[in-house]
Amino acid sequence: MNSQLEQVLKKQQNQQHAPQESEIENVVQLVGFMVGDEEFAVPILGIQEIIKPIEYTRAPKTPPYVLGVFNLRGSVLPLIDLRMKFGLSRSKENEDTRYMVIKDNDEVAGFVIDRLTQATRIKESAIDPAPETLNDEQNLIYGVGKQKDKLISILNVKALLKRDF
Amino acid sequence: MDEFEEILEDFLVEAFEMIEQLDNDLIELENSPDDLDLLNRIFRVAHTIKGSSSFLNFDILTHLTHHMEDVLNKARKGELSITPEVMDVVLESTDKMKGLLEHIKETGSDEGAIDVAPTVRRLEAILNGGSAEEPPAAEPEPEPEPAQAEKDLSEMSEEEVEAEIERLLAERQEEDRKRREAKKAAETAGEAPSAEPEEKDLSEMSEEEVEAEIERLLAERQEEDRKRREAKKAAEAEAQKSAPEAKETPKSEAKPAAPAKKETKAPPKERKTTVEQTIRVDVKRLDDLMNLIGELVLGKNRLLKIYDDVEERYEGEQFLEELNQVVSSVSLVTTDLQIAVMKTRMLPIGKVFNKFPRMVRDLSRELHKEIDLIISGEETELDKSIVEEIGDPLVHIIRNSCDHGIEQPQERIEKGKPPKGTVELKAYNEGNHIIIEIVDDGKGLDPDMLKAKAMEKGLINEKEADQMSDKEAYMLIFKPGFSTAAQVTNVSGRGVGMDVVRSNIEKLNGIIEIDSEIDKGTTLKLKIPLTLAIIQSLLVSVQEEYYAIPLASVLETVRITPDEIQSVEGRSVLRLRDEVLSLVHLADLFDVERVFSMGEHAYVVIIGIAETKIGLIVDSLIGQEEVVIKSLGEYLKGIEGIAGATIRGDGRVTLIVDVGALMELAKNVKSSMENLEDRSEKREKSSPADYNVLVVDDSKTDRSIMRKALEPLGVTITEATNGVEALNLMKEGSTSFDAALVDIEMPRMDGYTLAAEIRKFNKFKMVPLIAVTSRTSRSDRMRGVEVGMTEYITKPYTPEYLMNVVARNINLNVEQTS
Repeated sequence: MNSQLEQVLKKQQNQQHAPQESEIENVVQLVGFMVGDEEFAVPILGIQEIIKPIEYTRAPKTPPYVLGVFNLRGSVLPLIDLRMKFGLSRSKENEDTRYMVIKDNDEVAGFVIDRLTQATRIKESAIDPAPETLNDEQNLIYGVGKQKDKLISILNVKALLKRDF
Repeated sequence: MDEFEEILEDFLVEAFEMIEQLDNDLIELENSPDDLDLLNRIFRVAHTIKGSSSFLNFDILTHLTHHMEDVLNKARKGELSITPEVMDVVLESTDKMKGLLEHIKETGSDEGAIDVAPTVRRLEAILNGGSAEEPPAAEPEPEPEPAQAEKDLSEMSEEEVEAEIERLLAERQEEDRKRREAKKAAETAGEAPSAEPEEKDLSEMSEEEVEAEIERLLAERQEEDRKRREAKKAAEAEAQKSAPEAKETPKSEAKPAAPAKKETKAPPKERKTTVEQTIRVDVKRLDDLMNLIGELVLGKNRLLKIYDDVEERYEGEQFLEELNQVVSSVSLVTTDLQIAVMKTRMLPIGKVFNKFPRMVRDLSRELHKEIDLIISGEETELDKSIVEEIGDPLVHIIRNSCDHGIEQPQERIEKGKPPKGTVELKAYNEGNHIIIEIVDDGKGLDPDMLKAKAMEKGLINEKEADQMSDKEAYMLIFKPGFSTAAQVTNVSGRGVGMDVVRSNIEKLNGIIEIDSEIDKGTTLKLKIPLTLAIIQSLLVSVQEEYYAIPLASVLETVRITPDEIQSVEGRSVLRLRDEVLSLVHLADLFDVERVFSMGEHAYVVIIGIAETKIGLIVDSLIGQEEVVIKSLGEYLKGIEGIAGATIRGDGRVTLIVDVGALMELAKNVKSSMENLEDRSEKREKSSPADYNVLVVDDSKTDRSIMRKALEPLGVTITEATNGVEALNLMKEGSTSFDAALVDIEMPRMDGYTLAAEIRKFNKFKMVPLIAVTSRTSRSDRMRGVEVGMTEYITKPYTPEYLMNVVARNINLNVEQTS
């Protein structure tokens, strides 16, 4: 755990000390997380908070990926299972599971993710539009961020919060 | 022009308030035309509006109010008696005033809005017709200087102010002269001295005094002007502040003589100045505050629950007493705070009632009826949002009572009733509701006539009509397209019916009741909740889920056994007394997963809206609870059958059902009790390894001792180190455990709590829980039984004993394995 933390800190420091040119270019800050075996990311500005799983109440007459509603300090928010939303099997809760509370204007909802990975900065120029084949009608993918060793799918916050039933 | 706009705004607010008052006072005046105080008050209102509007250059408004004022002045001197005809014209001019003010509000000018000429001509006619001994109507108002002084100085340049003062001075002198003349002439008129307190200050002053007064005024004005110029240099924010101040100063300083007298002689005017101190607050801020309080209340509820848990666990400990004190004081203060904030949103219903005297008066003249409106309970308070909504329905109801209820005087006399009909409007509190009653002593409703009419219009059929009770027949008047008026009058033919009333009241979660007796009258009772945010609800549970049903829609609840449910055409029905109710299981409506079959009893909640009702089967009734309604947010808005959510004391979310939508849903759901058992099929256990036993203990040693002891059985063992972990393992459901061995003392969640939590789940009701502990006292054992432990083993134990207990509980034959 400790060594991981150190690594993360080091990474953050590196990012802070990163050459100034990245500041000049538009940089997007992302929070990465795992859903299934794939890594996704959401712009940090779209995230209200990330909490550990708490109890929720099932809401009837909703699609299966809407798990229900939960109480976040007095507000009732919908809880959406991203795995099911992406057509995977239902999430099994473990100690890495988090609820990511995503907010766009007045619309707020919690999303179940399997595990947080890391916060990254990525240049806007390094983000490609989502490939045609990936781009379904829901427009969930905003783009694909290219990093040194991997690709990361950036989700569209507005589309996530859009009701589609 | 910021300052001007601010002044205009103040003027409008003030003027609207005054006119509202004016309306009521005028009606009152008609009933007691000799009330001089009242007359004076009315006169002053007209006068003030005239003064301010002339300053703001609203010529048309000034013109109108000026004539009105003249008429009133005459009346107040006793030279004109207030007849209904005079009152009609005066009321007409107040209406015009309102119209003009509305126009000013929208466009900032009173030009081209409303033609006041006819009204003014009529006012003049009254004036001339009624005047005999007094000089003609053009007599200037007796109190010009306060009015003009009210003109705001901030708008004028210095020269203008100078000019204004010059004019004022001249006017005063002129006036004074006139007054002296008038006084001589009017000596015979015998006016009551209290009738004109303002006049005194002038008429009693000598000319020199008046001069001195004007000198003083002038000096004051200059001083003020100087101040204003300084203020103008200040920042804009300050400039804004100075505007209201500036407006006040001339008022208070320029009227030094008049108010002094008024305070003693004119109490009605004083009322205005002694009104309790208030500040205007944006409603949104109150809403925000209300939300915060809502969260606080939830926090308090949680605290209370936690306290209960703690009390149970640490019974008799010293700190409990202190904790108790803190918890109860926090809860007390929170409750008080909640009430206090709710009260800030409350308005007296008088705000709405105020407009009805005028309306009834107009209606009675229009319909040639004599109607008395008696209002009581106008101080009863309601939430602001409800006060806003309640006005329209009441207008319709009262209009209806006047038009259709009260008969013509002739008819009333024939019936042996006094010719003057009464409509009573009263409001009072009853529990968490406010009741508004509209009672008339008119001809009442005839249920047979109503039914015939409804049939004629095709709203009901003959069979329905026969079965209808009188009360149900009365409710027909709320059907859209229903009108009992034989002919369409100006009053009832406005295209807004009683169905609007009903939908509006229902929107407020209110209930309407009608009671009527032919030729005696009709009573309409509106029952409205005090606030929209909190409702009374019946909490029910279905399997593991809880739902709140608004109590207003619950007719009754009954307990039934499964064999009381009968089947008609594949639908479940219940015979309840003489009725056959169609039944639907809440679990079917909401697709609740059925983990546990129906017990010996089920409960039927009978819900109804208007004429239809159905029975809703639930597993158990939790109780009645006051719940705070929370919205589900954009994402889940309008899901079928759910009206909103609430957060309960334990912090969990409970959904509130939408009874109307539920009844719609029920039409399409076939309920059957049989499918209850479908899911309970058990996996065949062929070998001991198919049995899963959960071992919960924080000590590794203890766990391995238990594991060793159970080894001979050959069962599969899963270990958990504390209650929370164990509970999660069970809930997750990937392995279904056949028994659990539970230690009592564990970190995070102890054995008692774990057992209680497990027993909350229907599907774990039958799982054997075996306590393995060194706590041996009787009370510990009792506690274990209470929370649902099946067996209680005290340490130390022999491995054989443990093995046998487990084997017995999971029905595993020991011989088979050995």
